[in-house]
Amino acid sequence: MKLQVEHVFQVSRDVLWQVLHDQTRMADWIPGCEKLEEIEPDRFAATMKIGVGAIKGTYKGTVQIAEKQEPSQYTLAVEGSAAPGFVRGKALMKLHVEDANVTRLVIDADAQVGGLIASVGQRFVSGIAKQLTRELLANIEQSLRSKPEATA
Amino acid sequence: MSKKAGEQIPGRTDYKWIGKSIPRHEDARLLTGRGTFVDDLNIPNVHHAAILRSPHAHARISKVDLRRALNLKGVIGGITGADVLERTRPFSVVATSPMQYYCMATDKVRFVGEPVAAIVARDRYIAEDALDLIDVEYETLPAIVDPEKAVESDAPILHEEVPNNIACHRLLSYGDVDAAFDQADFVLRERLVFPRYTSMPLETFAIISSYDHFRGGLTLWSNFMGPFIMHPITARALKIAENNLRFIVPPDIGGSFGIKTSIYPYLTLLGLLSMQVDVPVKWIEDRREHLLASSVQTDRVSYREVAVTKTGVVLGFRTKLYDNVGAYLRTPEPATTFRPIGNVVGPYQVKNLQIDADIVVTNKCPTGPNRAYGCAHLYFEQERLMDKVAEKLKLDPAEVRLRNFIQPDEFPYTTPTGGIYDSGDYPKAFQLALKTFGYEAMRKQQKTARADGRLFGIGISTGVDPSVSNMGYLTVALDPEVRQHPDYLPKSGAAETATIKIDPLGQVTVGLSSTPQGQGHETIVAQIVAEELELSPEDVTVIDECDTAKNIWSISSGTYSSRFASVGTSAVANAAKTLREKIFRIAAHLLKVDVEDVVFEDRRFYARETPTQSIKLSHVAGTAHWNPNGLPEGMEVGLNVTETFSFPLAHAPDQKDRVNSSNTYGFMVDLMAVDIDPDTGQVKILKYASVHDAGTIIHPKILEGQIYGGAMHGIAGALFEQQLYDDEGQCLTATLVDYECPFSTEAPKIDIAHIESPSPFTPLGSKGAGESSSETAPACIANAVADALSPLGVNVTELPLTPNRCWELLQSARGQTT
Repeated sequence: MKLQVEHVFQVSRDVLWQVLHDQTRMADWIPGCEKLEEIEPDRFAATMKIGVGAIKGTYKGTVQIAEKQEPSQYTLAVEGSAAPGFVRGKALMKLHVEDANVTRLVIDADAQVGGLIASVGQRFVSGIAKQLTRELLANIEQSLRSKPEATA
Repeated sequence: MSKKAGEQIPGRTDYKWIGKSIPRHEDARLLTGRGTFVDDLNIPNVHHAAILRSPHAHARISKVDLRRALNLKGVIGGITGADVLERTRPFSVVATSPMQYYCMATDKVRFVGEPVAAIVARDRYIAEDALDLIDVEYETLPAIVDPEKAVESDAPILHEEVPNNIACHRLLSYGDVDAAFDQADFVLRERLVFPRYTSMPLETFAIISSYDHFRGGLTLWSNFMGPFIMHPITARALKIAENNLRFIVPPDIGGSFGIKTSIYPYLTLLGLLSMQVDVPVKWIEDRREHLLASSVQTDRVSYREVAVTKTGVVLGFRTKLYDNVGAYLRTPEPATTFRPIGNVVGPYQVKNLQIDADIVVTNKCPTGPNRAYGCAHLYFEQERLMDKVAEKLKLDPAEVRLRNFIQPDEFPYTTPTGGIYDSGDYPKAFQLALKTFGYEAMRKQQKTARADGRLFGIGISTGVDPSVSNMGYLTVALDPEVRQHPDYLPKSGAAETATIKIDPLGQVTVGLSSTPQGQGHETIVAQIVAEELELSPEDVTVIDECDTAKNIWSISSGTYSSRFASVGTSAVANAAKTLREKIFRIAAHLLKVDVEDVVFEDRRFYARETPTQSIKLSHVAGTAHWNPNGLPEGMEVGLNVTETFSFPLAHAPDQKDRVNSSNTYGFMVDLMAVDIDPDTGQVKILKYASVHDAGTIIHPKILEGQIYGGAMHGIAGALFEQQLYDDEGQCLTATLVDYECPFSTEAPKIDIAHIESPSPFTPLGSKGAGESSSETAPACIANAVADALSPLGVNVTELPLTPNRCWELLQSARGQTT
């Protein structure tokens, strides 16, 4: 399933890049992320709690940052599996300068689900994905606001 | 005790019970919820299994660890692919490039839903919870679901032993197909796609397995439907002797429509589980498991070209088939390709043909029999092309069919592929169908409707309805050279067995090994036995539960391939005749008259000339059991007769791949009028007429039920149902919300009519009709929708014709892409 979203943040590209790559804060904005530990540079072991309809699960897996072209783009790959199946997604994250303190984040994502989620939750999956994306953007906004020193 | 076929003159009309719609003996218990299904059986100390299934379409299994699961309170054991690899053999696969197919994944998973491990626990809840505690690691691999892409050189390979994912390839030629195309005035070509849909019985797969450690015997209770060839296959897979393996089938099975032939991997899986944990183990498949991983019909892409004269006579055809059997070629597949081999020309006088078949494996659920096995695909292709001929020649589609039919004076008719059509009158049945439908009037109505701007279409489809598969047909999947090898055991035949006994007080009991799934065998057998023994059907008790250790059965026993009305009834009729001869001989002996001078009426034998001299049936029966000295000299004690009816014309395929693949061949014509909503694309069936020739009709109401059921199965596949996958091999239709089945509210009224051309090859002249319009309804709907859309210049080449697809066709005609 392919998904494209974009959002304009009232911060400079460098600041946004910094927030998105701050390991201490990544867990705050990845939706459902309960735990994130670096296992090697740019690769993290993650625990995520996600519900698709009635099927809720704690997914264990990895988050990987790659193809970095600081500060304009990178890819973010997430995969996790749990009793209800697996989720797998890769997103190309592009940061466009709109203005000195205005940055447009464009996310091009391709996600797959398998197992129980895919077979009983198929019709919810795109709705859930949209909801998770909204959460993601809201979380980044929240991150930016809650740590005003980052904008300094 | 083989028996004289054709002893009774087919077409006899003086029956007292045969041909009457007597009330079904099964209905009272079924309608009051008192049937006995597998789940109703109480086996002491039964434990429950749950199966962990792959979430991936294609992946290498790097680790399966049961330890955490086995520590859960209430769990008593479990198995993984390693146990399966060690303790079982792969199932036999009939193909040119067979693969290793086990009851569970051993190295890789190849479809979503493939079993990876199984757990046994005190109850199903605990077993299901334990599945969450199994640690499995997968290395995912690219998946492939499209059969045409699967054979490309860069496609992911499922099985190393199956090059290009082609498990079986056969190029079959009959007649002189090149000459036919040379002589043709024109050639028409189509690419056609036939979808995956399934059987959807109310009762899913159900098994209880119990292992007797002391005797080394394994008992499997299940809703297994035959063929009993699965018994030796299961014994071999479990590495146990056949006489240590017992299948027990309870009196009631909640439908099958083909799918329960494919239960056997689970029989092996459950057998292994109970051998491992040493207590009886039960598994009732849930609906999601059923939709995801039980079995489904093979989907097909076909390229068909027909050689036609300018008068509309079809001289020959060539077909290139890509049959998608999913992850494993599971017996009896590739029967979708070969099951209709004897009737592959349908009801037409086509003499020359070529079939180039690729049977392809992909990362989808393995396939198996589904009512209309292979024939729905076949007639969809055949009948779409017949309409194309009509369109090309600007002839009425009915007229094109009439120009090609095999004629009534040609029976028995041998087809170029070796089929022997026993009887029929296709033009007569076709004319009756046109009349029943009101064809002329409907065409007039269509004109008016079109003038009003409606999308109104009329569809026709015909088909030869093959009943009772000859066990040998499947070996057409093998190269003739393999079949010629001295070690090769040729396969042929189609037998069924019945046992009838009369008790010491004169009561009649019939035992069958037919494992029916709702077809009403108890009723039909009671009718036939009552007819032969001059009793009433209420006097006859029929037991059709089966125990392979006690019943007499043949390798082909079971209820599949529309076989009961043809061979099952024949075994019963012959057994009843033999028993009748015996009781008449005893009566004659006791009455001291010639057997010809004995008459039987109201359970009493009379001497014809001196009716005051008589003797009760119970006295005759009592003599057979209690007083052997009172029997005619040399006569066997007791009144028990077992007869096996074996079809004499069921030979193994010859060197030219010709085979009489069925015992009897009926005929059917479907005619439909449909209306398509231009805004939603929804197809509405306005009128449906269906004419059948199933030989002698034994029970008209049961036949009507089969026609309705078959038609609805076909309508479901043509308009509603489809098993769908995404490109990564995830199944999108594993619930009944996503896999849309029609309800009774979607069922049209069908105007049904019959002709009866009794088969000369069965004692009663009857033929099977269990699949009937499931073979022709999809083609009929396709033709009707194509006719409705023809003014727009839109072609119909793919099913199902869901509102979505029709709307897309409408949009393409309107010049808009969707």
